[in-house]
Amino acid sequence: MKTLFKKELNYYLNNPIGYIIVILFAIFANFLFIKDIFVLGTASMRGFFGILPWLFLVFIPAICMRILAEEKRVNTIEILLTLPITETQIVLAKFFALLTLAALGLGLTLGLPISLSFLTRIYLPEVLIGYLGALFLAASFIAICLFFSNQTKNQVVAFLISIIVLFIFLVLSTDYFSTVLPKFIQDFLIYFSPIFHLQNFVKGLIDWRSVFYFVSLTLLFLFLTIVDLEKRK
Amino acid sequence: MMRVTSLSKFFGQKKAVDDISFTAKEGEIIGFLGPNGAGKTTTMRLILGYLKPTAGQVKIDNLEPIEERVEVSKLIGYLPENNPLYQEMKVKEYLEFIASVKKEDDFQKIIKQVDLDDALNQKIEELSRGYKQRVGLAAALMGNPKILILDEPTSGLDPLEQEKIRGMIKKLANPKDKQGKKLIIFSTHILSEVEDVATRLIIIHKGRIVYDGGKPKERGGVEKIFKSKIKN
Repeated sequence: MKTLFKKELNYYLNNPIGYIIVILFAIFANFLFIKDIFVLGTASMRGFFGILPWLFLVFIPAICMRILAEEKRVNTIEILLTLPITETQIVLAKFFALLTLAALGLGLTLGLPISLSFLTRIYLPEVLIGYLGALFLAASFIAICLFFSNQTKNQVVAFLISIIVLFIFLVLSTDYFSTVLPKFIQDFLIYFSPIFHLQNFVKGLIDWRSVFYFVSLTLLFLFLTIVDLEKRK
Repeated sequence: MMRVTSLSKFFGQKKAVDDISFTAKEGEIIGFLGPNGAGKTTTMRLILGYLKPTAGQVKIDNLEPIEERVEVSKLIGYLPENNPLYQEMKVKEYLEFIASVKKEDDFQKIIKQVDLDDALNQKIEELSRGYKQRVGLAAALMGNPKILILDEPTSGLDPLEQEKIRGMIKKLANPKDKQGKKLIIFSTHILSEVEDVATRLIIIHKGRIVYDGGKPKERGGVEKIFKSKIKN
């Protein structure tokens, strides 16, 4: 699995596309946060974590779209599935390579809390827990996108379906829905929204219900991808 | 070593492989012949456990490819049709990746065997078709498999490259070290190739085995058998 993980990660590190996507993510994340910090006049990382799910909405599908769709298009999946490695190892290697790439993207935003610490006093555990929540969010989004990348041979289709599904997940807890749905349904849907659970981390709390939510969501989609790959049509 | 029993594969209503059975042992070089769409590639994929049979069974050293795919894939080296490769990788990177997965210690020996020394630092996408085929063959040889399954190994190659690949196949089936004998199954459309390389001939037509026997001794014998079996 380590060999496959290295191969997957090297694809992005030896390829301009990987750098372009990660740097674009970092530029947008830094710009959108700094743009608002002076308007709002508050020096807190909460604004950054607030925009993060919407940035991940594009960033994560962009890094994930080729991961299995391209293997199917050029039929290298036949090489992988005839090597002595299990489907679980294939999916996990790809998942961890993508998670490493997402972590690299998040790493490029660490300049923000460091800069803020010069302007004001920031509470370090709150920032670290916020980043932990961001990693959980990235992991669940990657698992979802990995699943949809396995459903098609076309990278663009994988990208678009992933965006649509993630968008639906994200808007569950926003005002778009609250105005059109009864309150009890809204309350129910909010619980399934990643934004709702990320908020707990942003407040500096490790709420085990939110950890459970992200871990379950990630494992569910990884499991579905493995099962789908194990199907021999 | 390999036992295929009443193997069938349907894709929807279409029968790709229809109730085929055969056994094979090490040292044999089996030429798989048949027109396009006859079921050669599907049969190979069923043997590998890449596809699930609709009915029937494959046993390789008493292992079942679908249930024990990882164990079975340690026994088989496979060169798929059209030789899909990770084009963005360098030859060395790709072969090191395969060697690591298949736990091959003597990586350099295989590089020499397929004559790839001078292309190791080139990207796969920059290689000629012949060299790409050698990369695929090197990957198939990693891990010293007992069985080699080669799906059209000489397809699209010039006559000189075809000759080289054929020579390699013959050497691989019966090396000087008798314990290293392999079973080789290769598919092709080139009848003379079967005549030159194979020790046994299996002809598949419309998913069924229409001929399974030794290679005819006389020149042009394969063509005669092929034409007579495919017409019927």
